Amino acid sequence: MSGTEAATPLAAARAVSKRFQRKPDMIERFVGRLAGSPPPPTVHALDDVSLEVMKGEVVGLVGESGCGKSTLGRAIAGMLPISGGVVERQGRDIASLKGRDRMEMRLRTQIIFQDPMSSLNPRKTVRQIIGEAPRVHGLLPAGGVDALVADLLARVGLDTAVAGRYPHQFSGGQRQRLGIARALAVQPDFLVCDESIAALDVSIQAQVINLFMELKRDLGLTLLFISHDLSVVQHISDRVVVMYLGRIVESAPTDEIFGPEGPRHPYTAALLAEVPRIDRRGHTFSTVKGEIPSPLSPPGGCHFHPRCPFAMDICKTTRPALKDFEGGHSAACHLDGGAGLRAIKRNTSNDK
Amino acid sequence: MTDNIILKVEGLKTWFDTPKGTVKSVDGVDLELKRGEILGLVGESGSGKSITGFSILGLIDKPGRVVEGRIDYRGEDLRAAGPKRLRALRGDRIAMIFQDPMMTLNPVLKIGTQMIETVRAHRKVSRAEAHARALAALAKVGIPHPEERIDAYPHEFSGGMRQRVAIAIALLHEPDLIIADEPTTALDVTIQSQILAEMQKLSQEMGLAMIWISHDLGVVAALAQKIAVMYAGRIVEHGPTAQVLDHPRHPYTRGLIDSTPMANRRGEPLRQIPGAAPPPLGRPEGCPFRPRCPRASAECLHEPSESGTDNHGWRCFHPMEVVA
Repeated sequence: MSGTEAATPLAAARAVSKRFQRKPDMIERFVGRLAGSPPPPTVHALDDVSLEVMKGEVVGLVGESGCGKSTLGRAIAGMLPISGGVVERQGRDIASLKGRDRMEMRLRTQIIFQDPMSSLNPRKTVRQIIGEAPRVHGLLPAGGVDALVADLLARVGLDTAVAGRYPHQFSGGQRQRLGIARALAVQPDFLVCDESIAALDVSIQAQVINLFMELKRDLGLTLLFISHDLSVVQHISDRVVVMYLGRIVESAPTDEIFGPEGPRHPYTAALLAEVPRIDRRGHTFSTVKGEIPSPLSPPGGCHFHPRCPFAMDICKTTRPALKDFEGGHSAACHLDGGAGLRAIKRNTSNDK
Repeated sequence: MTDNIILKVEGLKTWFDTPKGTVKSVDGVDLELKRGEILGLVGESGSGKSITGFSILGLIDKPGRVVEGRIDYRGEDLRAAGPKRLRALRGDRIAMIFQDPMMTLNPVLKIGTQMIETVRAHRKVSRAEAHARALAALAKVGIPHPEERIDAYPHEFSGGMRQRVAIAIALLHEPDLIIADEPTTALDVTIQSQILAEMQKLSQEMGLAMIWISHDLGVVAALAQKIAVMYAGRIVEHGPTAQVLDHPRHPYTRGLIDSTPMANRRGEPLRQIPGAAPPPLGRPEGCPFRPRCPRASAECLHEPSESGTDNHGWRCFHPMEVVA
């Protein structure tokens, strides 16, 4: 029993695709009927993406804007209908869940957003915000709403006396703590943190990161931590998944990607090289050339090839498959027969 | 010697009168900037770093006012300068770049139109000449095919390209001083590094002096020769970048550096600064960092004056010891 439980991921996306398509307006429909115009453009926000999150794990999901990291977070949380593939929760396809099971799945997965103000009702008090969901779902403990709210506020590091206040009376960091308390109120086991600390000041960021790590330890939570900030992801994640234009390009244990051997995919390597760090004084930025292409018309083959310093002919035509390597490392790159940057790095250091 | 000093700010105070009291956004700030120098002005939200930048340019509107202090641009007192003189300086000798380039760009005009307008506002040149200058500026900031892009509208550019256009406008008259208010904060990592690389190059090539306002110590470490750390309207520490980051003397600077993930072992709790910055209307007496400071004592109820060596200064009664 325990053996199979350990092998089943807490949450998984299997070959998930998500396409966003603009509905044609009246004129376009009219012209379309007359002349047979092409269908409206489609954004492949997720393009055949697979991700497993094991129980108790912290998975860091990184990438630049438009790479699909938030879409993947929402899809895996069951908040967004997908266009293809399967999202599983504890081995069960969430699309097949009905009634109570479905509700339970929803409750056990909670999302914490970047901007807490837009996810907290400004006209409700803290007690109402935190207490509403557990009351509706019959999850209140013996002590009632007040006991639960006091307990949760203490857990996220807020004074229990603030229960009667409104969201606008709190600072940004405190509001984010309220958002976390509300998410915890329905006893989830899986938190999707979508840029949850991006809007906070440096000194407050550290406090909230510490809170996440504390909650993970004390409550046995599993976290999918979506962020563009590699240093934060490096600090708290067990595993890092890198996305580029709707695809996963690399996935590896954190120590592996940030370790001496380093990443296998040139995009990950570029990201690591370009992050400004305190210990890099007077760093001359080498810069990845070019812009992030529009997701409406991504380049063919490997999406990264127009910006990649190592691009070959095959990269322009063929999508590289995500290949597995030892140590739970996988990468999607044509270099070195799929092994990516490693051999190139070794050769250049030998030349010197 | 003194000609090299582009900007000297002394005892700058910018206050805002509100019904609930006076908000002392900037409360005694000193800055000095030489030709070709980049100063990183670091602080958290509400510390007054942007208001310092606006004050230098004379962009403070009611209910705000510059209460005290001197702002000398090449020996000229900007506080005494009239609106006409300020308008002549702004966009010509002193330029500003904002976090959101759409604050600079007019969404309904082609960028070429806006750039030519800017050129002709300051120089008596023909349209053709202005057009040529606009093209040169766009090329300088690395916009591909400037002769085509000059006829595009702001919405046709990506975020990073829009910021490049805003920088190109700032560079049109080869200013002496640029005040850059978090210009790369909203950009992606790879795009940010492209812009930072351009700015490094431009500062070296043109001898541009820059005040780079940012909350990101990493960006400032890469770009700036000098750092000034702001907290609650005051500069609590300033000095050469390496000196401030390697041997910070103010406990707040130390705390900021220590709370970044880079300074901590992976998976361990980050060394955090307790509490939050004081609200602008409820700043504590004496040293504003006192309630969050592990070293605070009764002495800190008084305002600390600046101490330090000639180029590294701090305002603290109990500075951090120098580690070898």
